[in-house]
Amino acid sequence: MKKNSISRPHIYLLILALFLLLFVFVFSFNFLIPKGKEYRQLRGELKVEKKKIKKYQDFNNAKLAILEDLQSKNRAIINSFNNGFNAEKFETKYKKYFSHLALSPQVKLADEEEFTIYEVNTTSQINSPKSFYNFLDAINKSDWIISIDFPIKFKRKEQGISSSFTMKVYKIDKKSDRNSTEKKIILPE
Amino acid sequence: MKYSFIRPRRKTVLTPEFKLLLTFFSITLFMLFTTYGFTLYRDYKFIQKRANIVETRANLDISISNYKKEIVYLRDEIDLSQKIYKHNKVLKESITNLFDLIPTRITLSEAVLLEKGLVLYGITPNKDIYNFMLEAPLRSIFDTTYTSFYPSDNGWIHFVSTNYMEIDETKVQKDENNEEK
Repeated sequence: MKKNSISRPHIYLLILALFLLLFVFVFSFNFLIPKGKEYRQLRGELKVEKKKIKKYQDFNNAKLAILEDLQSKNRAIINSFNNGFNAEKFETKYKKYFSHLALSPQVKLADEEEFTIYEVNTTSQINSPKSFYNFLDAINKSDWIISIDFPIKFKRKEQGISSSFTMKVYKIDKKSDRNSTEKKIILPE
Repeated sequence: MKYSFIRPRRKTVLTPEFKLLLTFFSITLFMLFTTYGFTLYRDYKFIQKRANIVETRANLDISISNYKKEIVYLRDEIDLSQKIYKHNKVLKESITNLFDLIPTRITLSEAVLLEKGLVLYGITPNKDIYNFMLEAPLRSIFDTTYTSFYPSDNGWIHFVSTNYMEIDETKVQKDENNEEK
């Protein structure tokens, strides 16, 4: 009887080796390589996204810097707009410019988009026009945003000049959605 | 009773060839699965990071939009305040100019400053002094000037001067602003 050149165990071994090799190829081509491609693609996309978000963050920081700069440079104006008009405080602060000063109760004049305007009528007495000039200079540094409005009347009296004028006080009322931006944004790693 | 002089070799499934094959494939499969597991993990992390980026971007959008609104709002406030301050300064200058305009020989008893006009009540020694020293400059400033006189007890003349401007200054200012822009 002619003896086989490959023994039976070797044939089994060969079949097993081929099967495993086939598995390796099938697994590699069907799962590993597509997954690897996806990985590389996602890595590239993530890199681009990170660059974009960095630019966005820089833009956000630039806007914040502008806002903070505006706020710090105009703190007095912002506070003046937020302050409610106080007639007693006003009289105490500005009576030095007049020999007599009286204010009418404030009347809501208009409700604009962002501001509410109140009207206050004043009757006063001054010793000389210079006092009134000084008052006009001081009003621009007051705790409120006040516009001196027409009609302005000056009438000569036995002692001094009586004056009457209207003041428009501007106040911010609608503060919706303001200061809602204090949100810390952390960039992804 | 023994038929062979040598001891029989024990047969086993784990032949050296099989062991070699098993080792080789074990290492290969281990590497394959590890690599696959690694890519799966990294993909999962990437997806998580992208979700974070999307969320961050949405937050940044809101934040930038709020900052922009706030900046516009603040600039409006600043513009309005500057406008008011300027108005008060101009008013002061107007009143200063008005009182500077009055000659020493004419005495004012009342002055009413209107948005587009000026009404003056006073007393003058005679009409000529009024006409030359007060009416002439008033005419150069205002478009319409009316004056009425009535005699005073002391021989002087009372006058009421009504002066109006026809040009809408606010419109002129707006036009100037537009030109600046």
